[in-house]
Amino acid sequence: MGKAKAKEIKVKSNLTFFQKVKRHKTLLLMCTPAVLFFLAFSYAPMPGIWVAFVKYNYRDGIFGSKFIGLDNFKFLVTSGKLFDLTRNTILYNLAFILLGNFLAVFVAILLNEMRCRWFKKVSQTIIFLPYFISQVLVGILVFNLLNYDTGFVNGILTSLGFERWQPYASASAWPVLMVVIYLWQQTGYNSVVYFAAIMGIDSETIEAAKVDGANGFQKIRYIILPSLKPTIVILLLFALGGIVKGNFGLFYNIVGTNPMLYSTTDIIETYVYRATMTDFNFSTASAVGLYQSVIGFVIVMTVNWVVKKIEPDYSLF
Amino acid sequence: MKKKLVALLMATTMVAGLAGCGSSDGGSTASDTSSNSTQTTDSGSSDASASADASAIDTSEHVVITYMTTGETPTGTKEKYDEMMTELNKILTEKVNAELQIYFISWTDYLSNYNLTLAQMDGTVDLVGTASDWLDAWPNAKNGAFLELSEDMLKTYAPKTWESVPAEDWEMCKYNGEIYLMPEDNYAQWTNHGFIYRLDWAKEAGLTDGVKSWEDMTTYFKYVKEAYPDIIPWDSNGDSYVQLSSGWIASHSDFVPVDGINAGGMWGGTREDLYTLYSPFVTDTDSLVEFAKMMKEWDEIGVWQTDVLNNKASTNRDDYRVGTVAAEQHHTQTWTDLVSHTAANKIYDDDPDAESGFFYFGEETGNVTALSITHGAMAVSAGSKNPERALMVYDLLRNDPECYKLLCYGIEGVSYEITEDGLRDTPDGYNNDTDNINGTTNFWWGRNDDLEIRAADRDWDKIDALYDEYDSIKIEYPYGQFVAEVDNIKSQISNINEIHTNYMKQIAYGKYQGTAEEIVAEYQEALKAAGIDEVTAELQRQFDELYK
Repeated sequence: MGKAKAKEIKVKSNLTFFQKVKRHKTLLLMCTPAVLFFLAFSYAPMPGIWVAFVKYNYRDGIFGSKFIGLDNFKFLVTSGKLFDLTRNTILYNLAFILLGNFLAVFVAILLNEMRCRWFKKVSQTIIFLPYFISQVLVGILVFNLLNYDTGFVNGILTSLGFERWQPYASASAWPVLMVVIYLWQQTGYNSVVYFAAIMGIDSETIEAAKVDGANGFQKIRYIILPSLKPTIVILLLFALGGIVKGNFGLFYNIVGTNPMLYSTTDIIETYVYRATMTDFNFSTASAVGLYQSVIGFVIVMTVNWVVKKIEPDYSLF
Repeated sequence: MKKKLVALLMATTMVAGLAGCGSSDGGSTASDTSSNSTQTTDSGSSDASASADASAIDTSEHVVITYMTTGETPTGTKEKYDEMMTELNKILTEKVNAELQIYFISWTDYLSNYNLTLAQMDGTVDLVGTASDWLDAWPNAKNGAFLELSEDMLKTYAPKTWESVPAEDWEMCKYNGEIYLMPEDNYAQWTNHGFIYRLDWAKEAGLTDGVKSWEDMTTYFKYVKEAYPDIIPWDSNGDSYVQLSSGWIASHSDFVPVDGINAGGMWGGTREDLYTLYSPFVTDTDSLVEFAKMMKEWDEIGVWQTDVLNNKASTNRDDYRVGTVAAEQHHTQTWTDLVSHTAANKIYDDDPDAESGFFYFGEETGNVTALSITHGAMAVSAGSKNPERALMVYDLLRNDPECYKLLCYGIEGVSYEITEDGLRDTPDGYNNDTDNINGTTNFWWGRNDDLEIRAADRDWDKIDALYDEYDSIKIEYPYGQFVAEVDNIKSQISNINEIHTNYMKQIAYGKYQGTAEEIVAEYQEALKAAGIDEVTAELQRQFDELYK
């Protein structure tokens, strides 16, 4: 028996490439769409990064245009804003990721604990719905809530005898507003993943705990949260990869081009949009994209390395 | 083994991807040989085909010429539009065996879509409507999007246009010694900005001659706010900061800005000394402080909504037509529409006393510069497969009365008719929503006053009076030949644009914190830090090369 197994292993490693393909054809076939997708949309365009280093002109194409080194990155650095923009982008994303995940887990657990079926469904739907509203509409909704002359909030404030509030002229109000708007919109969607993970927890463990006399809080603290840990870590890791990529739709539609608010709301995307809309330049835009990708790559690698040190099972690779 | 598999897969898709790109390129170069042969004539030797007589041009193959313009694809008027195009194409087929298609670039994000379409270079478009001041004509010429038009080509394929445009105007269309644009240089229009306002209300406010200065404008807005509390004097959307700031400068100096360096028009000379460059935004500190103070006053009067900088829902011009606002900031062309008793301008029906005046920026100092002739121009796409035929079609559209009227006004008797006075009126049973062609095909790249028929519903007495006033004070645009080389100062200009936009929005809408002096000082310091002096010096160097 042991010998046969050893032989089989030996045979396996002697298989030629095509024999292997034949043996795993079903698995390979199932992978193909995903592989093709990434090849076509992530790997094939990669040589295009070159455009960030040339003075691009239409006739010579990406690879025929003149190489100019790092000149395209110059405008980001010379504006003196690179630090502020990167800081704003990263801080907002950190807030979004951390608070977003925390709230999502919280909502998922609450939903799980609800016993009344129809109430559970209704609240889930209500929490989920904002996700489907376009950012453009969110921008308009927020403007109609908050604007000075006819805004809903100011209507209530004045009718209660308070002073009007002018958020569109005070930059300090926006970090909180932005995070609230983001959470309102995204929490429902994010909680679905956690909700599914909770559903996947072995019910025997929970029943056993009940039999042993664990109350609701203990159940959450000692069973549900630890079981969610891998999901939380992996989702965090994925999210961190995009931490330098700002949420353009959200910021542009809500803040628009109101310079009074830029000090706290300007992120890399919105700045680049303004700077490159006036002169239509593929090269500078790609330079910015590359800058963001490189920083994102570094952050993912570092965090993954740290996670691997602490808990190897939870790391991405 | 796994790695090899991945590598193999990658290699195949890469090759497939590259091959995909390659084949389309190959296709265009193969069919581009005709244009290549004409391009070689640029080098001097006269190629037989290019210098051949017009009658000897081979038009045996029927081709479709696509012309790109900004504007919306006709929807309500589609039926009449199709009829017009059929008629037009009959003539074009008969004369040059070609037919015309119009490729519309919708106004939403028009500049990006316009540039992206040009960047395709796959023969999607042949003729390109362009402009040096608002449609990136020169950047696109530099990027290689436009075909160089040799004199031989123009003489052969667009002879009428070649003859009608004087030599000095062709000079304005050159970059590095090559002609890229065919200018709309025989069409009178004024796009200098100002305020369109209700003259009848200005008179009520005590301004018997109408608004003649920025101070009068303040008086006017104050009066409107008090006398008509339901009306927002000017429901701006926060985008007029460029016009307000450069308008103020025009009214308080003899600055003549150079087009096409940045949107703010921040560099230029003076009427006395055209070729010494400076930026009034750096030098005219006191004037800017005055400006900041007056705009703060306007903000406090309530000329616009408090959150004007976030006001995206403004429909100020349409509101003006029905009388729910008291002013519109735009240029003379727009005033010629708003001042006239057209069907859309309901104020004149609702209120028989209603009148519209125009306060043009620079009125106090008589500082008005005529429009650059490349404010509208036609170029040929370098990706065009039939550039010769494209030129032939353009020559007809611009100079042939039949083609011109079809394209610009539609079919006579259906979309327009000519009155006894020779004016263009609408026929009986005409419905503007379904029958209108004028203003939908947007041929702003070759309008021709020799063929234009004046619209009957415009108030020509008032319009001509203003045009005459302009003609008595104007200077011609002096910098037509100057195409700035901005490669070395590009990052500075990007940053200056950003600073100008951010500060001017706050200054021009009175939304700054602190005093006027402080905000102007801060703005000027930021400009200096971004390197505005370097940019001025570099542009001056290029100026000296060209003009000295």
